[in-house]
Amino acid sequence: MAGHSRRQPPRVGANAHSGWVLRVALPVVATLSIVGPLAWLWQDSRVPAAYSVMDMGYPDYGMGTVPDTSGGGGHGGHMQGQMPDHDMPTPRLVTDMIADPARPADIRVDLVIRQQMLTVAGRSIAGFTVNGTSPGPQILARQGQLVEVHLRNESVADGVTLHWHGVDVPNAMDGVAGVTQDAVPVGGEFTYRFVAKQAGTYWYHSHQVSNPQVAGGLLGSLVVTPKSGIVQQVDVTAVAHTYGGMRTINGKAEDFRVPARAGQRVRIRVTNTDNGPMKIWTGGSYRLLAVDVTDVHQPTDVSDRSLTLTAGGRADLEVTAPSDGTAVRVQLSKATAVIIGPPGVDVPVPPQPASELDLLAYGTPAPLGFDPAHPTRRFEYRIGRRPGFVKGRPGLWWSINGRLFPHVPMYVVREGDVVVMHIENHTGEVHPMHLHGHHEVVLARNGVAASGSPWWVDSLNVPPGESYDIAFMANNPGIWMDHCHNLKHAAQGMIAHLMYEGLDTPYRIAGPADNQPE
Amino acid sequence: MRTAYKVLAYLVAAEVAIQAMVMVWGIAGLGKWVDGGGVFDKAVIESEGAPPFPEVVGILVHGINGLFVIPGLALLLLIVSFFTKVRGAIKWAVVVLLLVVVQGQLGELGHDLPLAGALHGLNALALFGAAIYAGRRLRAVAVGVEQPEARAATPV
Repeated sequence: MAGHSRRQPPRVGANAHSGWVLRVALPVVATLSIVGPLAWLWQDSRVPAAYSVMDMGYPDYGMGTVPDTSGGGGHGGHMQGQMPDHDMPTPRLVTDMIADPARPADIRVDLVIRQQMLTVAGRSIAGFTVNGTSPGPQILARQGQLVEVHLRNESVADGVTLHWHGVDVPNAMDGVAGVTQDAVPVGGEFTYRFVAKQAGTYWYHSHQVSNPQVAGGLLGSLVVTPKSGIVQQVDVTAVAHTYGGMRTINGKAEDFRVPARAGQRVRIRVTNTDNGPMKIWTGGSYRLLAVDVTDVHQPTDVSDRSLTLTAGGRADLEVTAPSDGTAVRVQLSKATAVIIGPPGVDVPVPPQPASELDLLAYGTPAPLGFDPAHPTRRFEYRIGRRPGFVKGRPGLWWSINGRLFPHVPMYVVREGDVVVMHIENHTGEVHPMHLHGHHEVVLARNGVAASGSPWWVDSLNVPPGESYDIAFMANNPGIWMDHCHNLKHAAQGMIAHLMYEGLDTPYRIAGPADNQPE
Repeated sequence: MRTAYKVLAYLVAAEVAIQAMVMVWGIAGLGKWVDGGGVFDKAVIESEGAPPFPEVVGILVHGINGLFVIPGLALLLLIVSFFTKVRGAIKWAVVVLLLVVVQGQLGELGHDLPLAGALHGLNALALFGAAIYAGRRLRAVAVGVEQPEARAATPV
């Protein structure tokens, strides 16, 4: 370059050589030092055309017992797409985890899934139906009954599954494509069988290509009533879902009117099927009877406080129809409400309370049924966000314990373990964390110990900057997803698994069945 | 390579201007929609399908530009700067890239800490200025090298 030659002596021999190095080699080296690491990160983030969830990430034994063989179930700890090493003792398969096959079903339900246009508030939206409607039919069971659901995929091109959100089903019935079953193709069928052991409010949804399928309405409600019945005179379910930006209750973009006489107690089973938390509040007072599926111990009346219902979570509220013959509104966000009272009577929208109900101190303590003070496994689930590559795509991605999908932890437990998990959210967005197959009790939030009723969840709202300590009993062998139920986040790689040692799955993510659980 | 450098630097500046425009466009659309009775919450933000109001596209464009396009341009600017052989070109490309990184961090942090969003707005001005300066500076240097060259020819 002319500018340089002015300041430098004429170049001959070694000088000319070093000039060449400076002029050509250095910029190229500098470029490679930027492009090279990026290329390495890109290739490292790619996943094979078919892989076992067992080969994802790295095993985390939570400071507990490490199995003699590496994982026992063949956890490879790498992403080479290899089959597990079958020199090890033959692992049990997730497909063995089923309800008693000899026991006849108490309830039989046929569900036919279709991909079709939905009409919501006069607008046409591409979505999915279950037996012709979205939400699908409510499945009603009594505690202890064996539920048998026969699924047929009539026209969903990507394939479907059904996951029983909140039900601690046997693992083979969990409905996670590529982990506990293959996605059911068009024309295919699958039968789910499980015992409804615990009364409560649940929902079902697809766990194949789950983000668009659930958003498109491939879901429905499941309610298990207690053997002893309930004390409320009216029992209703309110499934909140947002179709293409339109808030609905039970599929209708309008208020949900529940006729009730003055003084009648109404149980409202609110189910949040969206990707974000929902605020619930009433004009008068309400009582929170159950969180997810577990009854609150000695709940008290709440007024001037909203309840945050996390994505995927359920809340059973008790609201009493006003004694003066008016109605009461239960707001499910500002946009929709359940209106309880005589037909035709309306009331104005109550203002949204500034403060919210703190479940850490709601109700009174009761025995947990196990001792989380002496856990046999301690795990960390630290959620972060950083730039990088996931499946070959650049972006700002969610990390788990500092690593990006698929290099995520596989939390390994043994049946009978008492497990404690510390969850931290270091991102700017809320994460509704959902563990399959188990219910976990909140021990502390931000280091403050729980002081109210045992707060059992299957879906936990973890806002930015907050941390939770939770505990659960490892009493349901299987390979279970532990993921963010903002299903967009799950599709972006916010997925880890809990596995019991000595287990394996015959299914593959992607592969011939094109299993895409997220 | 100098032309590429200039073009990339000015593209970064143009993108910053676009970022400011689409964001305000989106927020103005949101305000109008809310004024008409629309309810905007997490469920609506995360909802699939048709946007609740058309200007939400501005917010989406802001995200795509900020996440992919501008960092990509800044990275290319740095790579190109290695080949321009102009004193200070690398330094200013690094400054632009650092400001882009800071801008991304402030934008992300703003989701949790809204005050960081205010700094995100301020840093945008710094990034715009740095990108314009990097481009103009190179033009000045490109002109400048001709002049000393001419002077150098005169006997010292």
